[in-house]
Amino acid sequence: MKSEKTIAWVLLLVLPLGFAAIWRLQHGIDAQRAALSQERDDVLLRSGRLVKIMSLEYAPLLADIYWTRVVQYYGNKHVRGQANLELLWPLLDITTTLDPNLLISYRFGAMFLSQAAPAGAGRPDLAVQLIQRGIQANPEYWRLYEDLGFVYYFDLKDYPKAAEAFLEGSKKPNAQLWMKVMAAKVAAEGDSFATSMFLWKDIYDSTPDPSVKKNALLHLQLLKVRGDCKQLDALADEYAKRYGKRPARISQMVQAGLLRGIPGDPLGFAYILGENGKAELNLDSPLLEQQLLLDRFK
Amino acid sequence: MRRAGVVALNTFREAVRDRVLYSLVFFALLMMAAAVAVGQVSIGIEQTVIVSLGLSAISVIGVLISVFIGVALVSKEMDKRTLYALLAKPVRRWEFLLGKFGGLVLTLAVNTAAMALGLLLVMLYVKHSLERSDAVVLVAVYFILLKLALIVALALLFSCFTTPLLAILFTVGLYIVGLYVQELRDLPVEVMSPAMAAFTKWLSRLLPNFENFNVMAMAAHGRAVPGALILQNTLYAVVYCTIVLTAAAVVFSRRNLK
Repeated sequence: MKSEKTIAWVLLLVLPLGFAAIWRLQHGIDAQRAALSQERDDVLLRSGRLVKIMSLEYAPLLADIYWTRVVQYYGNKHVRGQANLELLWPLLDITTTLDPNLLISYRFGAMFLSQAAPAGAGRPDLAVQLIQRGIQANPEYWRLYEDLGFVYYFDLKDYPKAAEAFLEGSKKPNAQLWMKVMAAKVAAEGDSFATSMFLWKDIYDSTPDPSVKKNALLHLQLLKVRGDCKQLDALADEYAKRYGKRPARISQMVQAGLLRGIPGDPLGFAYILGENGKAELNLDSPLLEQQLLLDRFK
Repeated sequence: MRRAGVVALNTFREAVRDRVLYSLVFFALLMMAAAVAVGQVSIGIEQTVIVSLGLSAISVIGVLISVFIGVALVSKEMDKRTLYALLAKPVRRWEFLLGKFGGLVLTLAVNTAAMALGLLLVMLYVKHSLERSDAVVLVAVYFILLKLALIVALALLFSCFTTPLLAILFTVGLYIVGLYVQELRDLPVEVMSPAMAAFTKWLSRLLPNFENFNVMAMAAHGRAVPGALILQNTLYAVVYCTIVLTAAAVVFSRRNLK
């Protein structure tokens, strides 16, 4: 009886103390290892076919795991603002080989691949390859044609091919009517403000992912800025015609009755006129940094 | 047949006593964790991953039970010497084998049905409603059960003439080979000798093709499985099990149990 009590006391003492020591030790080991090792991303097996063979009958589950790895890899790089996404393609390649019907991996994967750094890998060519592979495996899914048109339109600026993708997609079952309209519009006008707005709005409305929604919102806001600045520049030209010189500040255009008040960007920061007399974002606006970042990688 | 039924019922009771159904607890915990965690770490695959993970877990748990308990069905009775008492009664050896097979398949059916119910509940939690297309998950579960029945039959056959360890190795080996039958068929026969090409073709037709029962991807994407495939797979499993159990009965009836 006495020995049992002793054992109980020893256990009560040893277990918490032991685990507390382990906890602290692990922290120490983690710190040591972090100092020793450099960040290393690796995909040990790059052959999708080999991974599929090795997955026995569990390829769909493995595809989900690889897709989660894609999301985590992209998310980590994105959060750290790192532009090097060289493992994105091998990971997507394996994911789509394991499960050719995992539509989400084509849709989001193409977006991650196509966009210019730091928002994406800046590889629209691979994005096109990925979507075409998706279309081959899922020929009736019209959204993939929309994504293809999107990449051709925004990233490759290949408007005939974008129009062709929209048109092809419009023939698929359940395709939205606007696909046909978009095909005609892109074929006729090429790059246009209205088309860009519509496409980003559709991404914003249809995506289930908050980070993609945020990215679409940013593009919509920057497009709005582009449109606003264009209008302000036109008013500045009007001012120059009336008074023989360009305005130095927007308030001068307000005083001249060309504007009712000083307009603000989508975040509410007032636009300013730059040294060249062109309208631009306020230096305090968070959108300015995003705009400069996107322009730098264009 | 009635005697085989009695053996089957006792095998089921024994499996329950051996806490085989505890695997359900593991399955439940896994599914609950997945349902909560997946949405946090990935994009847009909540339903897909729940179905893939659920079916994979049902399959893995089922395969483990089929192989390890399937092999022990005969060997345990021999080790404990209970087999001798049983065979002294008016029970034929093939009836004993059939009963053991039926009992374990019944255990697996109960286990699989419970897990399938759990999977549907988790799907309901994730999706908030179940649709008609979700019925394909039940078809996938049924196919897994057919596959497990075939594995049990193979495990029984091997356990009739070899040691438990070798029987496990043979069963697992044949199961894995059976997953790659299609790869065997896709081998480039042009570069083989005619005899080798004929052998490969012959082998790929006769080996148990476990890939037949794999509709996990279809279930994960809510794509319907044709009724003809359900019928064909059912017949395939019944015929293959009959062949294997007949072979097992022949081997077992000739085995010297002294």
